[in-house]
Amino acid sequence: MEISTNDYRVWTEGSTIHYEGTMRLSGTDAYAPVLEIMNSVLESKPEVITLDLTSLEFLNSSGINLLAKFTIEIRKQPDVGVRVLGSKSIPWQSKSLRNLQRLHPALELTIS
Amino acid sequence: MVEEFGNTGQVTGSEATRFCLTLMAEPLELSWHHSGVTSDFMGEYFSRACTKGIDPLDARHSISYMINEILENAIKFRHGGDVEISGSLEAETFEVRVVNVIDEETARTFRGHLNDLLERDPGELLLERIEANALDPDSSGSGLGLLTLMSDYGAKMGWSFAPGRVTEGVELTTIASLRLS
Repeated sequence: MEISTNDYRVWTEGSTIHYEGTMRLSGTDAYAPVLEIMNSVLESKPEVITLDLTSLEFLNSSGINLLAKFTIEIRKQPDVGVRVLGSKSIPWQSKSLRNLQRLHPALELTIS
Repeated sequence: MVEEFGNTGQVTGSEATRFCLTLMAEPLELSWHHSGVTSDFMGEYFSRACTKGIDPLDARHSISYMINEILENAIKFRHGGDVEISGSLEAETFEVRVVNVIDEETARTFRGHLNDLLERDPGELLLERIEANALDPDSSGSGLGLLTLMSDYGAKMGWSFAPGRVTEGVELTTIASLRLS
């Protein structure tokens, strides 16, 4: 599954969801198709879901809400683990991704 | 009468590098995507004016994120009219002021939110808001913009409501400052 626009691309490879580019959509409704892709991976109940954000240069606060909402959905399923991969060279990730871990302490966050 | 909340005083001085622009409502057909292009442009502009010792990549991103979130709100809630943006940078302090008009009902609701926002720890409020959003499938906005700025970026924020300056609605000035590193 994949969503591709001039600004961003979201696609899955097995239980890994990749994000690339700049996501500044206007709110929950605009992010709904992205959430749909994410939920479809969760519905397959993998052992671990990986969110690969290492190429996501910019995400607005509505997008941060999307990641947080999904983290809460995973938290409800104790059999599904979650790993979030970030990059030190993308400043928003060091500032905001730790909130996901505060929501779900079992989330494994790697910013390298 | 002007009503103020939070930190509204100017934090940069006369030596600051300044840059102002107005997004004109009419010929531009002001819309959502103008937030992103404007904030990226201002982030780029001010990151080039940073003094030594400040990480230009972090400065560009932080300035861009801050302006984008405030402009998204301005464009979403504006009651017609232009949006004025003025940025200033002095040493490690960056400040932005965004002026737009909102209607009286929006102003009233927003003042109520601000009272809560300024009394509590923004980090705690951010998590509470995220949990509340997850429980409410009908919420269309996240309400996380200001909270992420204050909690994740350490931004100091202020708001000034001036109903008397416009013929209809309320003129809202949003003031935000960051300490760059």
